[in-house]
Amino acid sequence: MLSAFLQAAVGSTIARICSGWLLVITSAALFGPLLSPWEADAMDWDALEAAPSAAHWLGTDLIGRDMLLRIMLGARISLGVALIATFVSVLIGVPFGALSGYVGGRLDQILMRIVDTLYALPFILIVILLVVVFGRNPALLFLALGAVFWLDIARIVRGQTLRAREQTYISAARSMGASQTRIIFKYIIPNVAGPALVYATLTIPGVILAESFISFLGLGIQEPDTSWGVLIADGTQSMESAPWTLLFPALAMGLTVWSCNMLGDRLRDQFDIASRGYNRRPDTVGNLS
Amino acid sequence: MPVRFKCWFVCLVCLGAGNAGIASAQALHLGNTGEPQTLDPHRYNLRLEETILTDLFLGLTTFNARGEIVPGAALSWSTSEDGLLWTFKLRQGLKWSDGKPLTADDFVYSFRRLLDPATAASLAYFLYPIRNAEAVNAGRLPLDQLGVKAQGLATLLLELEAPYPHLAERLLYPTGYPVPRHVIAAVGDDWVKPEHWVSNGAYVLADWRPQAQVELVANPHFFTAPLIKQVFYHPLANEQNAYNRYRTGEMHAISTFPAGELESVRDHLAAHLRLSPLLSIVYLVFNTTQPPFDDARTRKALALAVDAEVLTDKVQRAGNYASKSFVPALVANYDSAPLQHYVVENKLNKVALTQERQQQARALLAAAGYDAGNPLRLTLRYVSGADAKRSNLAIAAFWKRIGVETQLHHSELKVHFSDLRQGDFQVAQAGWFGENNAEHYLGLLVSDTGDVNYGRYRNDEFDELMAHARTHGDVTQRNHVLRQAEELVMATYPVVPLYSVGIRRLVSPAISGWHENARDIHPARFLSWQ
Amino acid sequence: MARYLTTRIFFTLFTFWVIVTLVFFLMRLAPGGPFDGDRRLPPDVEANLLAAYNLDKPIVEQYVDYLVMISHGDLGPSFKQKDFSVNELVRAGLPVSLTVGGLALIIALSSGIALGVRAGLDTGSRIDTVVMGSANLGLAVPSIVLAPVLLLLFGVWLGWLPAGGVGSPAHYVLPSIALALPFTAAIARLTRGSVAETRLEPHVMTAIAKGLPRSRIVLRHILPIALLPVLTYLGPAAAALLTGSVVIEQVFDLPGIGRYFVQAALNRDYTLVMGVVVVYAAFILLFNLFVDLSYKRLDPRIELR
Repeated sequence: MLSAFLQAAVGSTIARICSGWLLVITSAALFGPLLSPWEADAMDWDALEAAPSAAHWLGTDLIGRDMLLRIMLGARISLGVALIATFVSVLIGVPFGALSGYVGGRLDQILMRIVDTLYALPFILIVILLVVVFGRNPALLFLALGAVFWLDIARIVRGQTLRAREQTYISAARSMGASQTRIIFKYIIPNVAGPALVYATLTIPGVILAESFISFLGLGIQEPDTSWGVLIADGTQSMESAPWTLLFPALAMGLTVWSCNMLGDRLRDQFDIASRGYNRRPDTVGNLS
Repeated sequence: MPVRFKCWFVCLVCLGAGNAGIASAQALHLGNTGEPQTLDPHRYNLRLEETILTDLFLGLTTFNARGEIVPGAALSWSTSEDGLLWTFKLRQGLKWSDGKPLTADDFVYSFRRLLDPATAASLAYFLYPIRNAEAVNAGRLPLDQLGVKAQGLATLLLELEAPYPHLAERLLYPTGYPVPRHVIAAVGDDWVKPEHWVSNGAYVLADWRPQAQVELVANPHFFTAPLIKQVFYHPLANEQNAYNRYRTGEMHAISTFPAGELESVRDHLAAHLRLSPLLSIVYLVFNTTQPPFDDARTRKALALAVDAEVLTDKVQRAGNYASKSFVPALVANYDSAPLQHYVVENKLNKVALTQERQQQARALLAAAGYDAGNPLRLTLRYVSGADAKRSNLAIAAFWKRIGVETQLHHSELKVHFSDLRQGDFQVAQAGWFGENNAEHYLGLLVSDTGDVNYGRYRNDEFDELMAHARTHGDVTQRNHVLRQAEELVMATYPVVPLYSVGIRRLVSPAISGWHENARDIHPARFLSWQ
Repeated sequence: MARYLTTRIFFTLFTFWVIVTLVFFLMRLAPGGPFDGDRRLPPDVEANLLAAYNLDKPIVEQYVDYLVMISHGDLGPSFKQKDFSVNELVRAGLPVSLTVGGLALIIALSSGIALGVRAGLDTGSRIDTVVMGSANLGLAVPSIVLAPVLLLLFGVWLGWLPAGGVGSPAHYVLPSIALALPFTAAIARLTRGSVAETRLEPHVMTAIAKGLPRSRIVLRHILPIALLPVLTYLGPAAAALLTGSVVIEQVFDLPGIGRYFVQAALNRDYTLVMGVVVVYAAFILLFNLFVDLSYKRLDPRIELR
């Protein structure tokens, strides 16, 4: 499994570019703010809305905050939201899909009908309502988005489980009297972890976009925290007087989403998941905006 | 592929054809700041509704093109010696837009409707100066006990609870507009629909497409025919959108545009730019019931660190006007009392002055028990929005210089003011605008004002002075006492005045008759094409 | 078939009820009532307002009243847009939202399928690389960036198209294109994958061996099967298009119901929020029902439960 990941990550020029960028942006998010000479909320009174320069490599925003630093801080939230929401969606999706696929029959029908129905809902509207009702709590945003994005994973895992169930070693375990729970957690889930991980990779860009969408409507992350969505929303309000306030955050986000999509595609090819049968769902459902 | 391209455009044409085209060049297209929630003058709440209602109705008093108070439906008025009885003489031959005569009885009906508890008018309190108004509005007295009477067809008498010299100004608002009793009797709440619409202003409501436009056309029965016969108000809540649609020529005038574009507008659209101060005050309010803000030293320290001029001129650059006093300097016949630290004679230059104030602020904080080891930590609340964010970050930066750590918290307008009224805040940004008299602003600090005294400020001496001022029917005497009260209260820093809002509009040079004014009111009937 | 239909309709109605209930109680949990203005409201006046809008009753009673009301097709009065009922607002806004959403769907389907087929027939070719590269790019450029940039470029700087609002067919061009782009990319990727796969199926191989013309092979033998995943995608896509239109309506000042939704949510206009969700949900659920049923018609291999 590891080798498949490696193969997908560095197997071609494009893959190397994508992995390289993700590595750069992740380390920038982790360490960049520590290295920056500027402080998070410090305003540079001499450089309000200043174009890129030696002091501010990517310019400053309307109130003189360093754009490079803002983008790196935004990456922390945007990537953080994406990772946590993806984690939540794996947490819900994997057991749900495994249960559905393993038990089968009536339960499977009901569970999959639920998934089908949920697919069709205007979920972003419900996330917006949640945010309005419970306040702009980032933790809530993570959970709400995770709760929206688990559907793909549940579906894939179910398919994989159906395959795995027929394997002889599982029949063997069953005949030896292992409990259902034990079989699901001990044998099925490890077996479907790879494909689930691949789909998780494809969930990340979806969550990043969804978060930016909500922040754009002014319903997402709160100042002084920032995210790429907030930066872009602010940037569109000053795109004429200060184009750099839109350009750089949009580039950072676009490159990240693009890299994740490319790598996800390659990984999927490596694992050859879900490429058979009518029940295939596109990986792009989450890309709402 | 080419075939498919063609298909799209055929579809585009079919689907779009249902909507009418942009009207002729005669029509005036104005950008408003948002969608009106109602055009019933007794149920209105927002300034952007006031803008449209001013064109649709005519109150007893009204504005001229410069925003000054002039006779409206009433040609003249007089006040009794004790200031308690006001007599309004109506214009001859007043008519509703359906041609029916408009009489003093219509005004009596309208005032009663506003204060009728069943109307549930949220701004009913505007007319509480009228005798028994509060009791009628609360349902404690019947409607006919309201101090409004008709004397014949053309004379209206208003009895007041206490002298109120600013009544003519109060009657400018839509709460004082007459509504057509005969139509309401026939169709009930549906009278506000375009098909039933009857009003007495220069225009009538022709059509209203929600979120798209409100269309007004000239009222044939108005006493002077407006020069522009058709006016559209478009709800342009987003400043960038308003700016874009002005530049494409879709709008002839817009209410605001992004602050960041001010420089560029000065360079490229100078002939279109209209800047003017609005009668208003934006201020920081302290919750005086909570430590450490119950301590005047803390409040003063925070006030000293804020530099309103840097805020407006360097940070916002949006055309706002820094204010040294709580009562806006624009208020007529009144000499506002600046904050103490602005009064102190000081020959120092700007930088040294700022440093001295910071030192003084640190000393005050130290006296109140805060220092580097035990910094003052506070939460500053404001209404969400890009411009507000910028201002409040700057304020946090000002306070950081005196060692105060500020946590910013922003929320939607509704939530913000709801929390402020419940006293759920430490320090918050608030604003008040509207009238051209000092008590409109100073009243916010009187202890029995209720929940718009957000900080629950209480100063008995100040309260007494305010009560005393309100017994005077004469404006000069009244203002004299008010001025004393202001000086007294400002020395304790219950609020930090920041600035008066600067209105930045774009108005097509093809329009004439447009005059900037402190109320930012521009009735369409005074406008014309050059 | 009848049993399948009944089950599907039952599930559709059940889901609908769940959504209505969920949103009803969510809105009531929100801090800040619908009548919190920025000026003071005396307690008596506030009591009058609450009574006038039925908000003074116990919440369960309000809920039952609401269910009875919408079962009659009445969405109630709007709390904030006092001069309109929610029905009137939806009637005014829905055509705008559906026009933009419908146009975007047409654009996305036609161009997405065309590009996807072209790439899928020649996987690994230069065209494939270009198409897939741009599709991935299309997925990476969020509409919150694309829409304002398109507007500034074609609306303000070039002056070719209106910069917002409605009034003529031209007003719909930029919004639909901006909304369609990510879906075009998604459909292109989807079509490419399934065309590439279907191309290798035995019946297609047979057709090729028989020397049938390429266009006939594509239209008759590949597309009917290759488009099934696209059809499946339409259900979720319809939901996503409608939500996507929330942003597009915001950027282009379109008077659609997505814009009502955001404003109503912020203003706590309970009935309007409910009304928009009810209409969106009903629309999406019906669309999905329709997609499911047409799926059955197109692919007889599917065994209906």
